[in-house]
Amino acid sequence: MSLALIAALPFLGALLAGLTIRFGRTASAASAFAVTAVALGLIVPHIPDVLQGKAVQTQIVWLPSLGMNANFMLDGLGLLFAILILGIGLLIILYAGFYLSAKDDWGRFFSYLMLFQGAMLGIVLSDNILLLLVFWELTALSSFLLIGYWSHLPQSRRGARMALAVTGSGGLALIAGMLILGQVAGSYDLSVIVTQKATIQASVWYLPALILILVGAFTKSAQFPFHFWLPHAMAAPTPVSAYLHSATMVKAGLFILARFWPVLAGTEAWFMIVASTGLVTMIWGAVVALFKHDLKAILAYSTISHLGLITFLLGLGTTAGAVAAVLHILCHASFKAALFMSAGILDHAAGSRDMRAFGGLRRLMPITFGLTLLATLSMAGLPPLNGFLSKEMMLEVASHTAWRGNTWLVPGFATFAAMLSVGYCLRYVAHLFFGPVRRDYPAPPHDPAFGMWLAPALLVAVVVVMGLAPMTIAGWLIDSAASAVTGTPVQTTIKLWHGWQNPALYLSALAFGGGFVILGGWSRLSGAWQSLPIPDAKQAFDAGLGALTALAQSVTAALHSHSFSRAISIATVTICAVGLLAFTGADHSAGTLPATPIQAVPAALWLLLIATLCASVALHRDRMIAVLLIGVVGLIISVGFAYLSAPDLALTQITVEVVTVVLLLLALNILPKHSGPAGSRARHLRDIAVAGAAGIGAAALCYALMLRAPAFAPISAFHLAQSKSGAGGTNAVNTIIVDFRGYDTYGEIIVLGIAALLIIALIDGLLAPGPARDRILARLPHANPTGEAHPMMMQVATRLILPFALMIGIYIYLRGHNLPGGGFVAGLVFAIALVMQYMASGQEWMQHRKRLNYHTILGAGVLIASATGLGSWFAGRPFLTSNYAYVSLPPLEVFELATASLFDLGVFLCVLGAVMLILESLSKLGLAARKGP
Amino acid sequence: MEILIASSVGVLTAAGLYLMLRAQTFPVILGLSLLSYAVNIFIFAAGRVAPGMAPILDPAAIGYVDPLPQALVLTAIVISFGMTAVIVIMALGAYLNSGDDDVDAAGSDISGGAG
Amino acid sequence: MNHLIIAPIVLPAVLAGLIVLLARRAMLAQRLIGAVALLALLGLSVVLLRQSGEIPAQAYFLGNWPAPFGIVLVLDRLSALMLVLTAGLAAVIWAYAVVTGWDRRGRHFHTLFLFQMMGLNGAFLTGDAFNLFVFFEVLLIASYGLMVHGGGTARVRAGVQYVAFNLLGSTLFLFGLAAIYSVTGTLNMADLAVKLAVLPPGDAALIRVAFALLLMVFAIKGALVPLHFWLPGTYAAAPGPVAALFAVMTKVGAYAMIRLGTLIVTAPATEGLWQAYLTPAALCTMAVGAVGVLGSHSLPRMVAFAGIGSMGVVFLAIGAGTPQATSAALYYMVHSTLATAALFLLADMITPAQGRDDVQGRGAAASGVMAALFMAAAIAMAGMPPLSGFVAKLLVLDALRDKAALMWSAVLLASLLTILGFARTGSRLFWKPPTDVSPAPAPDNPGAIAAVVALLAAIVGLTVFAGPITAWLDMTAQALHLPTGYIAANALPGVP
Repeated sequence: MSLALIAALPFLGALLAGLTIRFGRTASAASAFAVTAVALGLIVPHIPDVLQGKAVQTQIVWLPSLGMNANFMLDGLGLLFAILILGIGLLIILYAGFYLSAKDDWGRFFSYLMLFQGAMLGIVLSDNILLLLVFWELTALSSFLLIGYWSHLPQSRRGARMALAVTGSGGLALIAGMLILGQVAGSYDLSVIVTQKATIQASVWYLPALILILVGAFTKSAQFPFHFWLPHAMAAPTPVSAYLHSATMVKAGLFILARFWPVLAGTEAWFMIVASTGLVTMIWGAVVALFKHDLKAILAYSTISHLGLITFLLGLGTTAGAVAAVLHILCHASFKAALFMSAGILDHAAGSRDMRAFGGLRRLMPITFGLTLLATLSMAGLPPLNGFLSKEMMLEVASHTAWRGNTWLVPGFATFAAMLSVGYCLRYVAHLFFGPVRRDYPAPPHDPAFGMWLAPALLVAVVVVMGLAPMTIAGWLIDSAASAVTGTPVQTTIKLWHGWQNPALYLSALAFGGGFVILGGWSRLSGAWQSLPIPDAKQAFDAGLGALTALAQSVTAALHSHSFSRAISIATVTICAVGLLAFTGADHSAGTLPATPIQAVPAALWLLLIATLCASVALHRDRMIAVLLIGVVGLIISVGFAYLSAPDLALTQITVEVVTVVLLLLALNILPKHSGPAGSRARHLRDIAVAGAAGIGAAALCYALMLRAPAFAPISAFHLAQSKSGAGGTNAVNTIIVDFRGYDTYGEIIVLGIAALLIIALIDGLLAPGPARDRILARLPHANPTGEAHPMMMQVATRLILPFALMIGIYIYLRGHNLPGGGFVAGLVFAIALVMQYMASGQEWMQHRKRLNYHTILGAGVLIASATGLGSWFAGRPFLTSNYAYVSLPPLEVFELATASLFDLGVFLCVLGAVMLILESLSKLGLAARKGP
Repeated sequence: MEILIASSVGVLTAAGLYLMLRAQTFPVILGLSLLSYAVNIFIFAAGRVAPGMAPILDPAAIGYVDPLPQALVLTAIVISFGMTAVIVIMALGAYLNSGDDDVDAAGSDISGGAG
Repeated sequence: MNHLIIAPIVLPAVLAGLIVLLARRAMLAQRLIGAVALLALLGLSVVLLRQSGEIPAQAYFLGNWPAPFGIVLVLDRLSALMLVLTAGLAAVIWAYAVVTGWDRRGRHFHTLFLFQMMGLNGAFLTGDAFNLFVFFEVLLIASYGLMVHGGGTARVRAGVQYVAFNLLGSTLFLFGLAAIYSVTGTLNMADLAVKLAVLPPGDAALIRVAFALLLMVFAIKGALVPLHFWLPGTYAAAPGPVAALFAVMTKVGAYAMIRLGTLIVTAPATEGLWQAYLTPAALCTMAVGAVGVLGSHSLPRMVAFAGIGSMGVVFLAIGAGTPQATSAALYYMVHSTLATAALFLLADMITPAQGRDDVQGRGAAASGVMAALFMAAAIAMAGMPPLSGFVAKLLVLDALRDKAALMWSAVLLASLLTILGFARTGSRLFWKPPTDVSPAPAPDNPGAIAAVVALLAAIVGLTVFAGPITAWLDMTAQALHLPTGYIAANALPGVP
């Protein structure tokens, strides 16, 4: 059976558990159980191969260019973990079935649990380390969900976030480490990497990779100083704790250490970092465990201590150490899972997790007592239980390990740790079960239903039997796992009795003696401990994260204060700076073109322009004046265009100017007539500096360009040459906009059209009930933009002008192709003529006489322009290909009729429709004010 | 002549930006139209300038200025006209909705803390 | 001549014109036309995508004028990719806007939406620098309309800033283009590449300035720090579906950088010009985005900052300037567009129940379904497995391995902050038990949820088929960095 399918099964189970909840809680639990069982069953057939040292592999190509493939591998180590994950998984599901209460959401619980199981299984089955990373992060996410399962409890939410933050950041470090490792080894496949020991340990990247990977492993396996998240993860339901913190999640870190042992271990750095961290964690966890009162807290810290032990053993880098580590992984999983479950039983039955509420339970809960006793003594390392085997082996290995030439330090610390652990184990049993029976239990203690103690009982059975017959029960598994870790075939003999000459014997005897002493003097020690100023890691972490968040908030708020002026200033300065840098980045030879001599007219125009500009800046706070001055600037510019041989520009500029000014004046009827003062003197200076810099930049660039001859012949030479022969017009500018670059014009009229629609939509919004409408209605009638009084002279004049204006418009349109003019200007002239009517005679007068809907004109414009473009398809030509013929239509002079001028008609209609729509809808505002609600 | 044109572009740009920094919608609009004048002249000038050489084909012509920049300016003028219209109405809307035409405060009421 | 190339531009324009002409007040007709348009666009772009795989690049000579004298459209893998991304995203978002009734909250929604599509497609297809400006304006003005759709004080005020800032950008664009024409005498992009290669050294400084200005323009579009200030306010104030559509607008800036950047990067004058500015700015962008995610109070703002951060990664990859990095950038672009859009839609569904501000506040904002969708989208956005975000992150990291120490730590730290931010918001939004002040969760809208699911499905597809997709993108990047095919398609006079 393909490993990929096995790895996929739990995820299927997660789905099933979520769906089957419809058929009741049992169905959900049963489906989870069944899927896990199947997965375990599918592993079994692979066991013979693995035991012969043949790794089973499945490879699926996923992202070859990155070397990220769905490659799976089952070797001894993977097998050990797979059995732990699935085997204990079964017991957990069984136990949870009795632990969860009816008001818990079982479907959610079991889907999360299976999700997590899948992630774990994926880690241990991955051959490709990028794939391993995927599953690694998935364990972080799914444990986030599991720890936060009772999400109504704040400590669950906090615990979950803390676990995610710590293991998540570790995961990111691991990503970096793995990528480096892969780059160095030249492959992301474990089976390749493990063969690259020499290359990797020789590389300069070895130490960075090592440290990053260790950070990932240590955070996950709660090694000092990253251990603090684990106790807070105890907010999870007890089955979750039993699963995550005995056999799986926290072992994932150790798994990584074991996985990369063949390539990373054996160096001084590895020993110093890993072994020392393990030792420290082992002692620190044990010390804290000794003085906790919450059952799960004690178990959590003892877990930390034992994880430290395993880390220490792996850190030694010796085969013996590796064997001991593997053995203890198995033993710890068995007794620790049992202990968590029994703690859950106590919690359930006696209604508390506080040691101090208990005592004397041995008669009231005999079964629980028996199970807890055996598991705890195994944890303490008492023969003939399995905990003894690994403890003994650990002390044996420690006894001849030198730390920087110091031969007593390691054995000493190891024994001390063992002593402490005996201490808290004894206390755990003693304070729970011995002593007098009490009157004040939180709830009447009683042994649980069979189903609830079945799971721990099975685990305790393992604890005992494995202790008695280690080789038959676990020898094969340990051997194959150890061989996989060390990369060399290992044959171990695990036995209870190593003979009198074995130093470990005396060390553990010493440990036990010390343990009893500790138990004896516990209350005094505890008093001393409470008085010690131990920094609370959780508070530190919360404070740190809180500070980080607060910082982020203030930074973000400060940066994005919605100050438009500041944003503009920053942008301007940035742009100027970048432009300057770019300029200085290469050499520039000044232009060689002769400067055009300055005549009187342009000089006068220039003076006038500068003067007007200064005035408009100086007087800008009186908006009416400012608008008029801006209008004047526009006029000057259009004259300039005319003077500098750009009649089309002049014509367009002047017509646009008129319409724009009208628009601004209409707006000013509603907006305040004056601008308030903007900011301090300093700010004005700053603004002047910024604006000045940009101005200088623009001027300099402009000047440099004008005097420099084009490096290549401009493409416009072609336009001039083809204007008449190719596009059938003598006005090159017009032929460019309606033919050579008609597509630009097409886009441009679309812009106008959109502008009109947008504005209509906006004004509609303003006239809908709301603050805007209220403000409009609150305005005094005389403020309406169409003007109250309509002077008779003006009315008559405009109505006489109208036909002429329209004639001019048509004329401009027709001649456009050959002489300055064209659809755009014509449209504007029409618009202006009509606007004058509005101005003179008022909105209503026009409304009554309006025949055409400007929407229709606009739409027609867009469609005609598009249709003209599409027409050329029928001639098999591309969009907007023009065609023309000369038409003589007496009395008019012979003129040429080009599809381009049909396109120009579209332009004309668009412009007319858009401009009229804009002005009309703007004057609607005034009308609303006039009419009132 | 070039110096006059270049300096006009510069002054227009500076004046436009200065008005844009005045933190109220209406000056911002005026500033934007000054900027569009500036850039229109800039484009036009980029094709180099000369009087009396309008690009309208004529056997008697001594030569023509580059017509392409002029066409580009036409497009630019039209587009900026549309844009001006839009921002004018938006400014009106902002003013009518909120009762002031300050630009800087925009959005502060939805920023949640960042205002 | 393949007329299909112009269709993605003319089709929406014509249909929008029809709406204006005939269906101004008939919402049903508008929706029908919209549906037809978006389905047609999706189909069209898929067809064009398949064509782009066969022919390196094909040009469409508008007005039948030869390049560089007329305007050309060029269809290559990159433009086709952008077309498909846009059409797919738009179809989903349009459907969302219809089922949630957003399209009724103001006039001309469907017209503006179609014109928006026209603008985007035009920008992706054009091979002419000035025409790129014109279509930037088309898509911008349509986006102005969509942004203030539905009105409201906050929205319109934010709109003024958005418009003003972008008008500044448009002006800058014109400055740059004029300078380019003044020096090279051409506007056709391919022609530009050819002429830059043989540009007299005396003109180097001026052309560098011109392209630096263009870079700034695209940086504004792409919200590159410090030109990003317009984005958070705008996106947070925009209607949910519009903000989601805007997820592709920032990508227009990135697209333009890739398109022009790869054409000019080999020329002596402009070699490495953009990269020099991009890399540091991109690092800042990532930082600002990540910090903003952790430091935002409202969900829409948070998503906006996540979007900024993702653009930072994209720019970082573009800045590396290698084909591999470009390919990674493209994959990341597609991924982050989908993820950001999905989150904006979710934010739109959740926020009304949760109240405008303040994710600290009350929990129980929405149902379990929403919680699940949010978690999935957040995982994608934060670049955690098993979704495409993780793959994209790995691709970028792998492409940046030369400067691993700095780049990797920057990218990974940024994603850590993002994870923290989303975990905090998520657990507060969905886990906190309802208090008496918290509003009842909004009833789930199946249609709306379907839209989000569609986007997430696309993300899953992007992950599962990462192999073939990246292979295709690698070829795209190769073609971009050796643009002989692109230039040849323009059939320039005197150029083989």
